[in-house]
Amino acid sequence: MTTTKSAPFLFAMLAITLHAQIPVAPTAESVGLPRGDTISGYNVRQSFELGYRWHSVGGDTGMYRSTVNYGNGPRLLSSSLSVNSVDGHGGYFDLLQINTLGLGNDPYESASLRLEKNRLYRYDLSWRSDAYYNPGLTISGGEHFLDTVRHVQDHDLTLFPQSSFKFFLGYSSNTQTGPALTTVQQFDVRGDEYPLFADIRRAQHEYRLGAELNLMGFRLNVLHAWVDFKDDTPVGLGVPSQGNNPADLNSLTSLQRSEPYHGTSPYWRVALFRENKLWAANGRFSYVAGHRAFVDDETAFGFNRVGAPTGTQIVTLGNAERPALAGNFTFSLFPSAMLTLTNQTSISHIRMVGNSYYTQITNGVFSTPFNPFTFLGIRTIANSTDADLRLTKWFAVRAGYEYSTRRIRSIEGADITGVTTPPSARVPIEQENGLHTGLLGLRIRPLKALSILLDTEIGRADHPIYPVSQRNYETYRGRIEYKLKSFRLAGYSRTDYNTNSASLANFASRSRQHGIDGSWIPKNWFSIDASYTKLHLDTLGAINYFAQLTVGPPQQVTTDQSRYVSNIHSGNLSARVSIRQRVDVSVGYSLVQDVGGSVRSGTDALVCDPSGGCAGIFGLAVVPTSQTFPLRYLSPQGRVSLRISEKVRWNAGYQYYGYHQDFSALQNYRAHTGYTSVLWAF
Amino acid sequence: MRYSWGMLVGGVRVALGLFFLFLFSLLTPGALSAADYVGSDVCRTCHPNVFTPFFRNPHYKSIASGKEKPENTGCESCHGPGQDHVKAGGGKATIPVAFSGLAPEKVLDACLRCHSQTVSRANIRRSEHTQRDIVCTNCHSIHSSPAPKFLLAKQQQSEVCYGCHASVRAQFSMPFKHRVNEGFMQCTDCHNPHGSFAATWNMSARPRMVDQAGGNEEPCLKCHIDKRGPFVYEHAAVRVDGCETCHSPHGSTNARLLKRPVTFTLCLECHNGFANFGRRLDGPQNPSASHNLADPRYQNCTTCHVRIHGSNGSQLFFR
Repeated sequence: MTTTKSAPFLFAMLAITLHAQIPVAPTAESVGLPRGDTISGYNVRQSFELGYRWHSVGGDTGMYRSTVNYGNGPRLLSSSLSVNSVDGHGGYFDLLQINTLGLGNDPYESASLRLEKNRLYRYDLSWRSDAYYNPGLTISGGEHFLDTVRHVQDHDLTLFPQSSFKFFLGYSSNTQTGPALTTVQQFDVRGDEYPLFADIRRAQHEYRLGAELNLMGFRLNVLHAWVDFKDDTPVGLGVPSQGNNPADLNSLTSLQRSEPYHGTSPYWRVALFRENKLWAANGRFSYVAGHRAFVDDETAFGFNRVGAPTGTQIVTLGNAERPALAGNFTFSLFPSAMLTLTNQTSISHIRMVGNSYYTQITNGVFSTPFNPFTFLGIRTIANSTDADLRLTKWFAVRAGYEYSTRRIRSIEGADITGVTTPPSARVPIEQENGLHTGLLGLRIRPLKALSILLDTEIGRADHPIYPVSQRNYETYRGRIEYKLKSFRLAGYSRTDYNTNSASLANFASRSRQHGIDGSWIPKNWFSIDASYTKLHLDTLGAINYFAQLTVGPPQQVTTDQSRYVSNIHSGNLSARVSIRQRVDVSVGYSLVQDVGGSVRSGTDALVCDPSGGCAGIFGLAVVPTSQTFPLRYLSPQGRVSLRISEKVRWNAGYQYYGYHQDFSALQNYRAHTGYTSVLWAF
Repeated sequence: MRYSWGMLVGGVRVALGLFFLFLFSLLTPGALSAADYVGSDVCRTCHPNVFTPFFRNPHYKSIASGKEKPENTGCESCHGPGQDHVKAGGGKATIPVAFSGLAPEKVLDACLRCHSQTVSRANIRRSEHTQRDIVCTNCHSIHSSPAPKFLLAKQQQSEVCYGCHASVRAQFSMPFKHRVNEGFMQCTDCHNPHGSFAATWNMSARPRMVDQAGGNEEPCLKCHIDKRGPFVYEHAAVRVDGCETCHSPHGSTNARLLKRPVTFTLCLECHNGFANFGRRLDGPQNPSASHNLADPRYQNCTTCHVRIHGSNGSQLFFR
């Protein structure tokens, strides 16, 4: 009894559907299922896709780089190497597996390696690189620009992976380097803002050591890690600057800032767990002792708001501590095959304590130094119980309840030199929050191919910490799926409501998501996949600010509201045709369109520009205003893949990106990208 | 009848024996004879297309070992003893454990017999996926996986997840997003699909499938190392309600994954000064009279409040 010959091919078809919005390269199609060559007891398989990427951008290149960022040049688009011991008794290893993606200057590159010797060791390496470009839109009108590269690597070695006593060794590093812009405000609160150049240099290294022990049916997992963080980003002013408001008298002629920052976050994690036929239990405990030591030395010269020459030096140094303890304990009972009962308790206790020394010299005058101190303590305890009852093969119900309580303690203050704050002033302000949550879910499977899921969750909080926090919230979810062999159709709906109203403030958000998606593979040479999602968000929050609405000083506006409406339609479509198993043609289309919100009145239809704010919004200060940000982001793509031989394919692909926003054409772009490559697998 | 010390000890021994026998009966499944197992070589006779490439499968370790018991070796470790199947000359009905016909909870039972032994799967029985009948074989393909690792049912991990989470796919299709589709990140960088421990950085029962960073922190801090702190002046919202207070982590139509297209409305919705809110219960401070919000200069809050995630030198996050 064997499966049909077309099954692997059909499976390969299944595996490469749902690719509509994935970048067109590397090629998803493979040349087949290579058997590889067997050498000295190892089976070796390799594949390389070597190609050339190109792109052409019209419009805002910065926005293209921020959202897509593929460039020109030759690339090793993907590669893989797997070496398997045929009998599972290799010399130094039984498995060697290497996979790479985008090597050769793609903005997103990755490589992974697994090396394994059965019963003895397993080593995993992951290396990733991300070239992040952000013109800083929204934030500071583009003045917080970033052009950095982040490298992340993780090494994990497990000794005796299949035994009852394992050892873990690990190392991770995360570095971010590159140029950036930041801003500073000088020389007093009514001064001006100046863009500064920063050369970002930050790195984190983590070393891990752990073990897992099987003892009397319990698994004990212990991990200790040392985390070391350094940030030594120099910040300076390139050339003298009039600031963002050249009409005033403020200017900055030089600024130099050095702020070395070093810290450690060693942590312990201990987990104990066991599962058997009638019950399961697990507990986890973690403790982190976060510590940071810092110095900030800043020297600035220029002219202040009345045009007087001013020089300041600010020195800040000190320490910040954050010990954090967390524990979870979960106990599950399986009294019968139909019923699962679970109770979970968690506790989190975190304290943030900081002390620093602050001194400032302005025009040679040594202002009184002071020691700011702050404390923030958060303790959360939660307990939840849920039951999952499978009444019949086609009907199940689940229900749960969770109560969580949180205590927040806060102190903020400063000791002036020679005048120490009395201890009474350091009594923390304390508050307690409670949240009750209930959930109910149904699982119905009237037919083997049809499943229906319904869920609701209702939460009631008695004292949320922020106006936008969850207070009275309700979530309703439904999903229906029909899946029969090569056909699948699913629809879903989700609604989240949150209302957080107090005596003077109110905040309400309504989020609704509806969608339908499906895939169909009627023949082994044809597949199609499509999805549509509507994402709606509508929030209304009370705001309070000062604005110069008439001639004279700014007036306080306490009755205004911030209304934000977003209606996003997102669709994906992809199809693939294989002609005589030699030529594969795939096409895809992805569209994201925020059509904005409804207009309440003729003067209420405001759109906001991320780079320039909502000009004129406060002309309507006492009536609800609508912020809405219509845009369209689309990306059609097509690819041809020609099988030249058993081992070689030639591929070519094209992908278009179009970004268009209604408010300002300055950020719009259209980009043509493409590639051609040869895929060689053997 | 006189009761001796020896009789008492004997009685206790019998009681203990019965008790442990009872426990043993609870903890061990019904024993099968070794003769019921035929060995994987027999399976190979009729299923060469499955067995021939099986040396590449991680489950091949059980065969290569040569030391495992028959019920833990090769095909029969998952599919059960094959004697009846062989005698019947094949047929799905005679396979003791045929996954295509198993109820979801039985699939989970079969896999967890070996795969429960890791802390990352400690909560799998109560996970959101399990409670919705999403079990191992929904995401993993044991015999025909196209993925280089973990026997995933699709080549890319994100494609496995998008199969059900279409709204998440829509979020990652937005102009500003984490680079999951591009291959730089994976869903499991932030989520544990096998069920995570309860999130302890906020009060709500949600999110449920989010994995913690090493020290029980939000997973965002695995990569965004500069936001971790501690800082002398913490932006309390980050620590109390989490990064999602201001950001949409999957994707957004707004730059930097912000929840609003402009900064000042995002800030003002919390910083409205209304009492009873905030870390000091006096309301997150609203902008002072020196801030004329009608002037675009004051609408980009982070131009001055640069260190908005936390600062060591300025309570107002100036530097």
